[in-house]
Amino acid sequence: MARVHNWQIGREMSYWYPESRPKKQFAAVFDTNKCIACQTCTLACKTTWTSGKGQEYMLWNNVETKPYGSYPLAWDLKLLEMLDGGQWSGGTYTGQTIFESARAGERVLSWRPEGDDYAYPNVGEDDCAGTVDGGMSLSMPHMAWFYYLARICNHCTYPACLASCPRGSIYKRPEDGIVLVDQGRCRGYQECVKGCPYKKVYFNPMTGTSEKCIACYPKMEVGLQPQCFVNCIGKIRMAGYISTPENARPDNPIDYLVHVRKIALPMYPQYGLEPNVYYIPPIHVPPAFLRQMFGPGVDAAIAAYRNAANDPDLAGLLSLFGATESVMTRWVRKGEEVAGVDDRGTTLVRVPMTEPVHVRAGFDKIYQVMRSNCP
Amino acid sequence: MRRHIVVLVAVASVAAACRPAAVTTPDVVAVMAPAVPESPDDPAWANAPEHVEKLLLQDLVEPRLMTASTPDVRVRAIAGPTEVAFRLEWNDASKDDLPGNGRFVDACAVQVPQRADPNAPDPQMGQAGKGVQIAYWRADWQATVDGRGTTIQDLYPNATVDHYPFEAPTLEKGSAAQSEMARRYAPADAAGNLRGGARTSPVEDLTAEGPGSLSPAGGSKTRGRGVRTATGWSVVIVRPLPDGLAPNARTQVALAVWEGAGKEAGARKMRSGWVALAMRRTS
Repeated sequence: MARVHNWQIGREMSYWYPESRPKKQFAAVFDTNKCIACQTCTLACKTTWTSGKGQEYMLWNNVETKPYGSYPLAWDLKLLEMLDGGQWSGGTYTGQTIFESARAGERVLSWRPEGDDYAYPNVGEDDCAGTVDGGMSLSMPHMAWFYYLARICNHCTYPACLASCPRGSIYKRPEDGIVLVDQGRCRGYQECVKGCPYKKVYFNPMTGTSEKCIACYPKMEVGLQPQCFVNCIGKIRMAGYISTPENARPDNPIDYLVHVRKIALPMYPQYGLEPNVYYIPPIHVPPAFLRQMFGPGVDAAIAAYRNAANDPDLAGLLSLFGATESVMTRWVRKGEEVAGVDDRGTTLVRVPMTEPVHVRAGFDKIYQVMRSNCP
Repeated sequence: MRRHIVVLVAVASVAAACRPAAVTTPDVVAVMAPAVPESPDDPAWANAPEHVEKLLLQDLVEPRLMTASTPDVRVRAIAGPTEVAFRLEWNDASKDDLPGNGRFVDACAVQVPQRADPNAPDPQMGQAGKGVQIAYWRADWQATVDGRGTTIQDLYPNATVDHYPFEAPTLEKGSAAQSEMARRYAPADAAGNLRGGARTSPVEDLTAEGPGSLSPAGGSKTRGRGVRTATGWSVVIVRPLPDGLAPNARTQVALAVWEGAGKEAGARKMRSGWVALAMRRTS
């Protein structure tokens, strides 16, 4: 194994291949506080990419209710138990990653789902952790809680699927860091299905090869965000490109949220893959649960997010989520307006910081009907 | 009743002890014949000596097989003027021929050096500059060749599907437009990598120059047929005579078996080292 640097765990670690970062790295930020689990993203992906024979059960994008939801079943709990709860010391992970704790004969620490584990795509939907008994009232964080976790492939810097494939059928594109299965080379060994800790590679029994989220690369190549991003009615997602911390640019939206303000965090960074989908953690969930899932930056991230109303730059950038189909590689705020900009400096979209409020008269004189106003 | 069972067991034990030991040769000997048999139950196989090869765990490269499964494979070979047929038989209690998520299929392979060489390539898939040829048979491909359908219900009988976009009424059934749309959702098929679905042969010709380098050989020259037996599988693989195999001359052969029930695939397999492969006029 080679020694590589993983900034998310604050140290060097072992990986199957030497460090080779792409020219650009596809990345995304999901705001869990805004997700309502409508599954529009799931269907946008399904309709676009996985409506074929053998893809029936595939959900390259899925949304599950935490803490009890999971697809495939217990994808996170099983590996967490195997990893035996590593510790953090400040921003440094002192436990072992899945590469460092691989068992004899294996390339990564992993487990293989059975077919039935994919039979319950929305298990645990809206199941609450704890009960709200009579007379109780909620305070922050909630003592009884759940939240929605939207998941796609993380297009990791150190993909376990890629490391697991014994014949090099999975590759990370040097131009944008998107991780793909070479459909001409895959022989369907399902090692990647087993190796991915997020269980985001799926075996197609009809074609005999494994398939996964492709980050809608035909769209990204022409500067458009993926289908699950642009169809999100809650506008929880933003796609772009992330720099390494030492090269972070404040005018890059992803860099600003992840590196500058640190309100968006990787999922299970302790696995060691340097995943590139970043989550703004839910503010109402007990931090102990969130620290396990998103690492030690949770408390500071929630504090910054809750203060966004007093933080014009942060509030402005958050209002660009879902504002355009185009990939915003830069952003700028001018007073009460924030704009998304592309690499050539072209303004893609301008959004007011505060939407004007219109109050409609209760009685519509034109149509002679009563109208109701929704806040 | 218990006494009767004890007696029966004793009789069976004596009978087994009196059975003549299976004749096995130290090498795989291909007996020359005017034509090679294509079927596992062809009487011609009785003319070929049997070699029993103990199989080893593939534990040289990750991912490894850590628990031994198929202990040995019984091999016979018959050589014709241009081809050689191998019959591989092994014990396997379960028939695993349904591919699926977390499901794996039974398979076997015969490997020979690309070029006969006293200094043989690495038996584990060859090495750079010293390649190997591999003929690979798979139980699910055999099932498809034998007539099993290629719908999702053939793999998952209880599967229900609401709709596939390429089966919309607006697309003429069987039309080029329908096929084109279906291929959009079958990327491996579109890439020409036919790992599943309808097949005309249960075997595949491959080459390799080391672990992880397995590639399809140009043009399919190998034929095969596998059947279930009372104890496992019997598979015939017919391929062109390998380089160096001639009357009273030798090359090498290596064998591999995958046990689907053990989730074996790719590098996770039971395999042999090189075994001498000879060609003789009689056994």
